Amino acid sequence: MGLPISPHPPAPAGLLDRFAAERVTGALRGPHGCFYLLDGAVTCVEDAAAPGIDVRLSAAGKVPPQGWRYAAERAGPQRRGGQFLVSEGWLTQGELEVCHLAALLDAAFFALPLPPDATSFTPGTAHWLGVVRPVSAAALQQATARRRALLDRLRRWAAADTSPVVAVPTDDRAPAPTSRQRRLLAHADGRRTPYELARTLGQSAFVTLLDVRRLAAAGLVRMPPAPGGLPRRRPGASLDGSAPPAAAGPRPPTWQLPVPDVLHTADPDIALLVRLRTALEENL
Amino acid sequence: MAQMETALADAMSNIEGAIGVALVDYTSGMALATLGDHQTFDLNIAAAGNTDVVRAKMRTMEMLELQGAIEDMLITLTAQYHIIRPVSGKSGSGLFLYLVLDRKRANLALARHRLARLEADLEV
Repeated sequence: MGLPISPHPPAPAGLLDRFAAERVTGALRGPHGCFYLLDGAVTCVEDAAAPGIDVRLSAAGKVPPQGWRYAAERAGPQRRGGQFLVSEGWLTQGELEVCHLAALLDAAFFALPLPPDATSFTPGTAHWLGVVRPVSAAALQQATARRRALLDRLRRWAAADTSPVVAVPTDDRAPAPTSRQRRLLAHADGRRTPYELARTLGQSAFVTLLDVRRLAAAGLVRMPPAPGGLPRRRPGASLDGSAPPAAAGPRPPTWQLPVPDVLHTADPDIALLVRLRTALEENL
Repeated sequence: MAQMETALADAMSNIEGAIGVALVDYTSGMALATLGDHQTFDLNIAAAGNTDVVRAKMRTMEMLELQGAIEDMLITLTAQYHIIRPVSGKSGSGLFLYLVLDRKRANLALARHRLARLEADLEV
């Protein structure tokens, strides 16, 4: 069994490594995410893209949202919110640890790397949840790199990340997705993006992106058709023939997954295809 | 479930011949909890490496269009058994348990049974 090979060469020490090496305590706030550190170890990570532990536990029916607010208020200056949740009997210590680490890993994926010019550090700040299970900055970055490599393998379907995907009706021959993917398919209504689906289902945003890309690759989800209809009137547009300047530059290319079945024919006309190939070869 | 390490320690003490056990996230290879003698066996490295084993098997099953889920995987070495057991959970938790057993002392059937029970404890 070989050792896992990091897909990317270790980056020159990033901001998180630097703060970890100095064994600081406080909050490292990036453009959309925040790392809470205790003596250089990461105790909590939050990111706008990833459903937090509160969303996860509410979706799992463990802690109602009002219970969560109550715990945040009761955490006090000692920052013992996690212990309060356990002592109230909402969840066990083990469940708290598993959920906390899963949420931390998920948020770190989106919050890393921290851009040096848009990150601020507030010393001494701790998260109200308290220290549940600290993770070393190095282990967290390795884990994130492995996840990134996994998602990068499905880069061709990256456009599905931000699109409100919709399930494609399939026949019985379609490969059976996992139970998590089936749940995702059941919620893929063409209105919610994968990030919103993750929040609705209270599950990892990373895993949702991965599943959606896999489903797109398997032809089980597609992107909704781009809105067509009448062209909008642009301000300044006129009928005198001079083209008005485009308001927002060229339109980004739209990307569509092939509709399955289009490329499948029950009875390909082999003779015609052979004649076609011969004709093409003669013209080479 | 008590503290994760306590749950693993309970399982270890109940499984004859257990050398080490880890709870691993299989998209990142990060071990959420490990228990065992790190001098003889680095469970963190084993955790990361075995994610590829789990993923390869899952992908193969997808390609073969096999129905059903993996309950556990057994790897038999000359002196050890390694058992990998995905934690199912209702939403698919993305975790697996990794158990290393001393082949001379272990009772494989009983170990698999106990590991299944630990998995049930870990479902969140």
